[in-house]
Amino acid sequence: MILNTEHIAKSFGRNKVLKNISFQLKAGSITGIVGENGSGKSVLMDIIVGARSADRGIINRNGKIGYCPQRALLFPHLTVQEHFIYFAIAYGIGRDQLKRRSEELLLHFNYRKYKQEKIINLSGGTQQKLNLSIALLHEPDLLILDEPYNGFDWDTYQMFWNYTNHLKKQGCAILIVTHLLSEKERLDRIYKLENGILI
Amino acid sequence: MMNKIITGLSMILRMLIRQKIVIILLLIIPVFFLTIVEFTTSERMLPFQLASLDEDVFINISEKGISFIFFAVASSGFLVSFLALNLIQKNNAVNRRLIICGYHPIELMISILLALILVIVLIAIYIGLLTNAFYTIDHLSRFILGLVLIGFVYGSYGLLVGSLIKMELEGVLMIVLLVNIDVGWLQNPLFYAEAQNQIIIKFLPAYFPSQTAIITAVTDYSASTSILNSLLYGFVFLSFSMLIFFYKMRTK
Repeated sequence: MILNTEHIAKSFGRNKVLKNISFQLKAGSITGIVGENGSGKSVLMDIIVGARSADRGIINRNGKIGYCPQRALLFPHLTVQEHFIYFAIAYGIGRDQLKRRSEELLLHFNYRKYKQEKIINLSGGTQQKLNLSIALLHEPDLLILDEPYNGFDWDTYQMFWNYTNHLKKQGCAILIVTHLLSEKERLDRIYKLENGILI
Repeated sequence: MMNKIITGLSMILRMLIRQKIVIILLLIIPVFFLTIVEFTTSERMLPFQLASLDEDVFINISEKGISFIFFAVASSGFLVSFLALNLIQKNNAVNRRLIICGYHPIELMISILLALILVIVLIAIYIGLLTNAFYTIDHLSRFILGLVLIGFVYGSYGLLVGSLIKMELEGVLMIVLLVNIDVGWLQNPLFYAEAQNQIIIKFLPAYFPSQTAIITAVTDYSASTSILNSLLYGFVFLSFSMLIFFYKMRTK
């Protein structure tokens, strides 16, 4: 099992956002989590990646985690290439792997021409491509995506799903927060987050 | 670990240099302050006593001279605290992402500190040389040391504010408020000499660095006590800011 969560609960004051969340992710699977705005999807993602602590519950993660937050979290005054270098150092990957992976991702998501551009000069869609590429850079075993295609055009959206299916075949477990019901057929399993529990 | 710190430092410096407002502030504010002093102060001599020297020691210096020194200290403190706030607060969410991806909060904090130290030294040298161009400082290198100290104390204060307060506007307000009251007003030796309740002024962050800057700039007396106390004050701010940063940024 790549990810195992048991009885996760989280409250903000009197607002019990997550009450009792338990689920597992197997290698080579795509799992979706849907829910209304404010249902606690992003809070759950934050807890899984370790950005936020749960009030109670257990989380077991096995393998490398790649996390793509909903909002593109990037340094406005650094270039695309500098982001790859900075995050490669964070992941602890070597120069050769950095060069190979960054080229692959730049080509696959079709934004190689912006390699030396600063983030403030990029469109929202291109920023989102980099936001996703950072999560994929170190070839993670568990990929956590919080509405990763915000701002993508149709072609990029297709590229995203092609790449996700490719990762699934390689044994990556993918957890994706989505609000598009049209994506149901792409997912192996889908949970609905409602009133703090997964249905 | 070293690789992460060096990369972090290099990226932080690139980001600072690429922000036009930072460069404009660095270059313009000291020139503006000192030009105002040049046009508004007189050459009349003002003998005054410094709190950290013996009671029978009087310093004879023109109003213009002491104002240049005082405003050099004020602009140093303001610029460094603003930049420190910028360093720690501006990219908080992305720094958090770096930590989730494998950076240790301490590695990131060291990178920020090294960048801040570099900025403090550069600002102190620039303002020291600029002040010397307006008014000849007797001991320029020692005066620059005083400016480094005010930068260290107020830089650490900026880090503390930035690690405590999430919103940029509130952070800037906290900086402007203290810098204005402390460095920009109460530590002015001309005000301080006649002030009531001087004990309050002695406990403010800029007291020891201001004393150091003035003693080193215009006298031959030792400023070692003021230097040590400045360092102590700075380290207290720095320790709190590091603890808060670590607590907020660590992975759960």
